[in-house]
Amino acid sequence: MSSMNEKHPKPTYWRSLAELDNDPKFQKMLENEFAEPLEGPDMAPGTPARRRFLQIMGASIALSGCRFKEDKLLAFSRRPEGVVPGESRQFATAVELNGVATGLLVTSYDGRPIKVTGNPLHPTSAGGASAFHQAAVLSVYDPDRSEGVTHLEGRARTASTRKKFEEFLVSERARWQANGSKFRVLASVSSSPSLASLRDRLLASFPGAKWVEYSAVETDNPEAGTALCFGKQHRAVYQLENARVVLSVHSDAAGATDPSGVIASRGLAQGRVPEGKPMSRVYAVESSLSLIGGIADHRLSMPACSAKAFLAALDAEVSKLLGEAGKGAQPVPSAKSLQAPATQKFIATLAKDLVANRGASVILAGNHLPAEAHAIAHRLNVLLDGVGKTVTYQELPLRERRSEALSGLLRDIAANAVETLVIIGENPVLTAPSDADFAGALSKVKTSIALTEFADETARLCTWHIPQAHALEAWGDGLAHDGTLTLSQPLIEPLHGGLSAIEFLALLVNDIKRDGLDIVRRTHAALLPSQKAWNKAVHDGLLPGSAPAPASVTLATLPAFALTESDLAEVGATNGKLELVLAADSKVYDGRFSNNAWLQELPEPLTKQTWGNAVWLSPATAKALGIGDGDLAKVSVSGKELTLPALYVPGQAEGSLRIPLGYGRHFAGHVGGHDDANVTPVGTNAYPLSTTATPFVLAGATIVRVDGRQEIATVQDLHAIDAIGQQGIDERRGLLLAETTLEKFEKEPDFAKHLVHHPPLESMWNDPVAYEGHKWGMAIDLNKCTGCSACITACQAENNIPVVGKDSVLMGREMLWLRVDRYFSGTPENPKLSFQPVPCQQCENAPCEQVCPVGATMHSHEGLNDMVYNRCIGTRYCSANCPYKVRRFNYLNFHLDKVEATPFQSVKDKKKLLMHMVFNPEVTVRARGVMEKCTFCVQRIQNVKIKAKNAKRAIADGEIKTACQETCPSQAISFGDLNDPTSAVAKDHALPRAYTILEELNNRPRVRYLARIRNPHPELG
Amino acid sequence: MATLWSETNPYLGEPKGDTDFARITDNVARVAEAPKPPIGWYIAFGIALAMLTGFGASLGWVMWVGIGAWGNMHPVAWAFPIVNFVFWVGIGHAGTLISAILFLLRQTWRTAINRFAEAMTIFAVICAGIFPGVHIGRPWMPYYMFPVPNQMSMWPQFRSPLEWDIFAVGTYFTISLLFWFMGMIPDLATIRDRATTTPRRFIYGILAMGWRGSSRQWHRYERAYLLLAALATPLVLSVHSVVSFDFATSQAPGWHTTIFPPYFVAGAIFGGFAMVVTLAVPARQFFGLKRLIEIRHLELMNKVILATGMMVGYAYGMEFFIAWYSGNPYENFVFANRLFGPYAWAYWTMIACNVVIPQLHWFEKVRTNVWATLAIGVVVNVGMWFERFVIICTSMSRDFMPANWGYYIPSKIDFLTLGGSFGLFFTLFLLFCRFLPMVAIAEVKSVHRDAHAGHGHDAHEHSHSPRTA
Repeated sequence: MSSMNEKHPKPTYWRSLAELDNDPKFQKMLENEFAEPLEGPDMAPGTPARRRFLQIMGASIALSGCRFKEDKLLAFSRRPEGVVPGESRQFATAVELNGVATGLLVTSYDGRPIKVTGNPLHPTSAGGASAFHQAAVLSVYDPDRSEGVTHLEGRARTASTRKKFEEFLVSERARWQANGSKFRVLASVSSSPSLASLRDRLLASFPGAKWVEYSAVETDNPEAGTALCFGKQHRAVYQLENARVVLSVHSDAAGATDPSGVIASRGLAQGRVPEGKPMSRVYAVESSLSLIGGIADHRLSMPACSAKAFLAALDAEVSKLLGEAGKGAQPVPSAKSLQAPATQKFIATLAKDLVANRGASVILAGNHLPAEAHAIAHRLNVLLDGVGKTVTYQELPLRERRSEALSGLLRDIAANAVETLVIIGENPVLTAPSDADFAGALSKVKTSIALTEFADETARLCTWHIPQAHALEAWGDGLAHDGTLTLSQPLIEPLHGGLSAIEFLALLVNDIKRDGLDIVRRTHAALLPSQKAWNKAVHDGLLPGSAPAPASVTLATLPAFALTESDLAEVGATNGKLELVLAADSKVYDGRFSNNAWLQELPEPLTKQTWGNAVWLSPATAKALGIGDGDLAKVSVSGKELTLPALYVPGQAEGSLRIPLGYGRHFAGHVGGHDDANVTPVGTNAYPLSTTATPFVLAGATIVRVDGRQEIATVQDLHAIDAIGQQGIDERRGLLLAETTLEKFEKEPDFAKHLVHHPPLESMWNDPVAYEGHKWGMAIDLNKCTGCSACITACQAENNIPVVGKDSVLMGREMLWLRVDRYFSGTPENPKLSFQPVPCQQCENAPCEQVCPVGATMHSHEGLNDMVYNRCIGTRYCSANCPYKVRRFNYLNFHLDKVEATPFQSVKDKKKLLMHMVFNPEVTVRARGVMEKCTFCVQRIQNVKIKAKNAKRAIADGEIKTACQETCPSQAISFGDLNDPTSAVAKDHALPRAYTILEELNNRPRVRYLARIRNPHPELG
Repeated sequence: MATLWSETNPYLGEPKGDTDFARITDNVARVAEAPKPPIGWYIAFGIALAMLTGFGASLGWVMWVGIGAWGNMHPVAWAFPIVNFVFWVGIGHAGTLISAILFLLRQTWRTAINRFAEAMTIFAVICAGIFPGVHIGRPWMPYYMFPVPNQMSMWPQFRSPLEWDIFAVGTYFTISLLFWFMGMIPDLATIRDRATTTPRRFIYGILAMGWRGSSRQWHRYERAYLLLAALATPLVLSVHSVVSFDFATSQAPGWHTTIFPPYFVAGAIFGGFAMVVTLAVPARQFFGLKRLIEIRHLELMNKVILATGMMVGYAYGMEFFIAWYSGNPYENFVFANRLFGPYAWAYWTMIACNVVIPQLHWFEKVRTNVWATLAIGVVVNVGMWFERFVIICTSMSRDFMPANWGYYIPSKIDFLTLGGSFGLFFTLFLLFCRFLPMVAIAEVKSVHRDAHAGHGHDAHEHSHSPRTA
């Protein structure tokens, strides 16, 4: 299937019905009232019904104006079983990031995937999803994706066809089969068993060929660390919900960039409930604030290069406390950076706390830390009796280190030992360290074949470029973080005729099975022998119980790791020794999502920056170096330079710089930047600073201010806050975001209700409605919220929220209905971070409703503030009178202008209208001049109400989930009927720590927040 | 300035010698009758027309692309357009105040200035009335705000102060227009009677509505004038009070203030009088009306400016006191932010223009000097515009939740719209100066010494010659 469609060399998205009418087969089918069974030449008999359904659905898209395949068109007069036109359906599938498959549920509406959420059955998502997952549907409809095979002949790139590529393969394959020693594959890290089997098949049929696993932003240091500890490579699987003490050392385990961040957030949040069971305590030691650092009770800012010394010191301290059991500890390091009394006290207290909670403590080490640091962390986890409780280990087959494999490939290319290079799903020309000079290497390879979604920096230099199918367009499989077998099914036929990685490999090796479905079925024929078992696994998206049993590990005695000069370096602004940390971005990852406008416009959780990156540095460091917030700065390290804006980020370790990777792309597309389309790159590409030896943590960096400034499009504190403003923020932060310590909370559980003293609240108006039926309400637990911002993108996807672009963000016109406010407290060097998601508060006594002159916002009989878009004329009075400022106004026709660089350009390119396929048909697409805001996902409420009414039953608690609630990795949001005292939300509202913001205004919001409780160690205060 | 009285060109100067009824008529009417206005009028009209074109172009652009062409943003959802609206409504106060309240209070000096003060009111309210219509997101449907019976049974929402505005401003405009036009009827008849060409006779004849000057007509006219004055008087107070409700009834710190109605009315009279002197000084210079609009009149207006300026200053102070006295941290912050925040420059501009500089009027030399009068009038107008900017934009830019805070920067289109509204105002005003009687001929006569032959004290009061500037 998924043909490259030779009959249509120029694929188009929009087909007129007239064109269809001219098609004889179509005519014939129209005449034939009882259509023939849907079995085309490329359909194996007995193909499952699911697949058939998809084909029909694909055809229905053609009818509604999308791409079609002429032999599959069927009128809906014969409705496929189980399909109700106009009703959305959900299918289980999965996407893979860095070798971990996350199970998702995708909502499909008339064959169009429009919304993603986590698969509740899946161990890696448990129903939650990150912003990356949420934004996946937009990527499917990205008009910049490659539309067909292209071929580089001489210097000119010409459009080619799949057929020509296959002909090319026929002539080449024989040579590779005879001698594959000059054949190389560079592919993404993947856990897919099908891919693994095809890889083995390829390596077997092309003797001497080599396979290089590549990841631009992740190392395999954690696995290497286990090898040092246990003699064999293992993968650590954490169970943070069992932990009472969590230590994160430069780890971003709860962030979107960690492929198991969703489940880590879930586990972490489960320990953060101050009622009932004991609350966990979280420590973080890091150079930049991470999401774990944000919820940490104690946090130590420390340069990344000191991590090994820190872990060695902690090992020494813990081992001392453990006595005999702790022998073989690292010697106490002499690092001066650890000598500060506060640091010493931190380590001592932390060690005591870890030992006191033996069996319920866990240490997470950051991916970019050296293998030795991971080894120490794993050793401590074993010593602290965490194995089997807070962490389990799974054995992995021994593999070459990734970095060595890449260097080997480059050496081979330099030695002219590579003739054919196949690149699957990666963009090494952009992402490889600059000393690797991948572009240069590529030019030495005779045949290079790139299977990528976009004609990106790499694909445009390769001799062949084959469009890759999006994960939601293809059959596939993978392993969850704990090894559970995960299956993924396509939600739509490949819009541009792309191939999945397994289909492509099957083509390369001339496999008899060419179709993704056949390949995946073959791979799991033993595990899923029957059609029934297969159907169930596809339906569920996974095979329960397929995770391997945890390996039993024996701790080897670790040698005393030498601390190198850089490990002992005293990083600081004043002594001129700076370190630079390059890290995956929480929005565009390694750059692969940089053409996704939702992610580009998503505010970075910590800095709230949209549309671009900057060099992060602490205010103290910046002031010592004379660099202002937003000034252009030149970062130099090992002879390479980069100029980009500087951003003051509280919580940065002194002397530590950080630049998010994945920006500054010249061939991403109309969103992320494209030279041919005259679209300026978004942000600055920091990969050129990275080196093969030290890709992510670089010592000896310098930064100087250069002339000029660049405005950073942040959605909070867009303009520098002056002294009076800072004073105002300091005064009210504690009133808006209630926060206390566990100790004080236990003494006064309802402290949050008494933050503001006000006279008795009385209203001029009578309650308009008695609420005899439902009374919707929401509660947001600030103690669980990690600030990850997945809810923002979920809301954007669910509610057709437009993207406004950088210029409009700079003008303060972003449209996101749900914002996550971020507050710092404490000192800028070591701040406490607090997040507060703010949707519409759905006030009972709503100030917006009273001031609308045309009655466009009204109170519903279930307590919602409804927006009547048709009635709204855009006076914006409601927004002016909303104390929470949750209303957003369409100043321009953002849906048309969204990908344009300037707000006044309209979209000329009809291709971009493909993006409109992502719209949720149940939500009005707002035009310019209309106010909009959070509706508590009223369309979801109505759907469930209709369903319940038809079934003559009551709505169950938890049956209605708002988009933000559904995706929230840490389950911080509850929603439901306040009239039902047993509902989760009613219980949350009744909690002593529940409070409403700006209660004194007597708006009586329907959203209550559960106060943030910190659990500091008594000795650290 | 050279004052060469010319029998043929009224713009060259004013009549020498004492005024009498015939000369008053002649002095005013010949401005409208002159075959050609002076070159200065053409230049001024050209500039005004160009600005008006800018107004049309900016509004056209805004309608085409959306009001995002202006700088309005989140959280400053109301910005220049509403500032301009409140500014122009404020300007529109002086006319009716002079016509109605001073009439009822028997302040006879008003007759010299009431006609063009009323005209100014009408034109200012026209300028003001445009903004609420075009500032909305969908400017093609402002009629949703009117109670138009319709098949969908949709009705405006009367709890909204914006809805009250519609009625307050609408009523005010209607009454002001009637008042102005009715007061002009005897003078239009005069021009009709003096007309030498048929078109003029025809047009002014229609405008004069059959006025013959009979005793009965005069009697009815005076009754109606009195009634309209009585009707208009509460409107002077109500319209800006209602406009201030837009802010006072909201929750935003800096808006939610009970002092707003009197404060806004005082500010409106202050700004309105400043605009009257701004217009009166050039008008009396260029149209030869120095004998009718005397320095004494300017001085009286300057005294009103001084008094209302101090009221406004008191209101500024009282806002701070109440913010502090209320103990409301958000109110406190808004006022501290006005003084020292990012918009402090606007606040201090306002204080300088509205509170400090008008104090110069304590000096007789200043308030009797036409150029100083003009300069201070302009300064007060600038200050009053900034007052609205400070109230609206500064308060909005930093409200309750710091995460929303922003800094509003107007776009170029904003400035074009603001400048363009002056273009509309001056275009209308220059047309008025050219074609309609600028001074109420009949009313001036009524307070002239000749009207009171035999009443010595009146004669004495009105017969001294004007002080020279």
